[in-house]
Amino acid sequence: MSIILISSDDRETEAIIAEKVAQEKGYERLDRRFLNDVAARNDLNLDKLKDALTSTPTVLKKLAARQWRQSLACIEAEVLNRLLADNMVCCGLGAHLYVTGISHAMKIRVQSGKEKKIADIAEQNAVSFEKAAKWAAKELENQKKWSLTAFNADETDLSRYDMVINLDQIDPVEAVRTITGASEYRKFQVMTYSMKCLNDLALAARVNVELLKSMSDVNVQARDGAVIVYVRTLRRQKRKTVETIKELAGRVNGVSYVEVHVNKSLKEND
Amino acid sequence: MSKSLTVLLLDDEPIVGRRLKPALDKIGCQVEVFEDPRQAVARIDEKEFDIVVTDIRMEGLDGIQVLEHVQQKWPRTKVIMITGYAKMDLAREAMGKGVFDFIAKPFRPDDLRQIIARAAEALGMTIDVEPVNGNSGKE
Repeated sequence: MSIILISSDDRETEAIIAEKVAQEKGYERLDRRFLNDVAARNDLNLDKLKDALTSTPTVLKKLAARQWRQSLACIEAEVLNRLLADNMVCCGLGAHLYVTGISHAMKIRVQSGKEKKIADIAEQNAVSFEKAAKWAAKELENQKKWSLTAFNADETDLSRYDMVINLDQIDPVEAVRTITGASEYRKFQVMTYSMKCLNDLALAARVNVELLKSMSDVNVQARDGAVIVYVRTLRRQKRKTVETIKELAGRVNGVSYVEVHVNKSLKEND
Repeated sequence: MSKSLTVLLLDDEPIVGRRLKPALDKIGCQVEVFEDPRQAVARIDEKEFDIVVTDIRMEGLDGIQVLEHVQQKWPRTKVIMITGYAKMDLAREAMGKGVFDFIAKPFRPDDLRQIIARAAEALGMTIDVEPVNGNSGKE
């Protein structure tokens, strides 16, 4: 039993490999189709959810920063909740960026063939190879920017992954076989500790969704039902903010205790 | 009457053994508690336990070394690791080396009983996680 998270510099490649791995393993595939469920359950616009997974908010864009953050938080919470079921292959939902510290979640990066990608761009857009190469580089840069803004993690940093496969060198069929084979390693099997960590992540994500409905700039961590919220607010609003957070977080199913730290760094290790 | 499950419990913090032994006694396990890993390993050399529950960070020998010793001496024995310093890398290392399960401290005695029950099942034995004296299991 395990979770396989597949990401790529090319969305189409990502989806194809994920589908084949899911078939081979007999696992459920969780991909962008899941956004329909997320939209329905959270009363959100589907197009805005899709947009949130590729764009970053700017003053010129229609997607407001707060709405963007809420959309991502809802996707994260819903995906984590589904991953609790185990035996999943997940792609296209950014899970490789927020499923962290889970030993039974194997992270795979599939590098699409660079030459092929450039050739495809050149053909599809009727541009020179030189221009296509610039577009490909720009696309990768945008992915990096999005991942850093969305989850403070660089998805193009290959050290984040348990396995990196370069399709310039490895045939896609062989890649699928390699991934399914590696997923059988004992170190990627579920254990009591890793399930507890996943439960903690899922609970923190649910609380985050609740809090983002009425505030921004929060960081939530959870452990065994105890929730710690880091928030920035004005000194005169401190008491009210703490009360609001305790009330909102306390309503979330699974929360037994809420601790609020105001005006501290939003990052745990800072 | 079915054979009792034999458990060796190793943790250098005395409170852990004091807390967990009664919890495992209640479900019919025969538990031997050790705080010194060298003494525990000496006992493992003498006797095949069904299950070894061991801490990871200890003076002298760490839990991974205890695991390797158990695997060499008694391959059938299931090893469960408990630690207050759980991290993903350590969990993967332990699982990769063949530990049956890995659990982070603090945990409830019932969490360990559930793992023990699964380990017993994997050994072809059965254990009722409801305490044998009919108590609710709350410590």
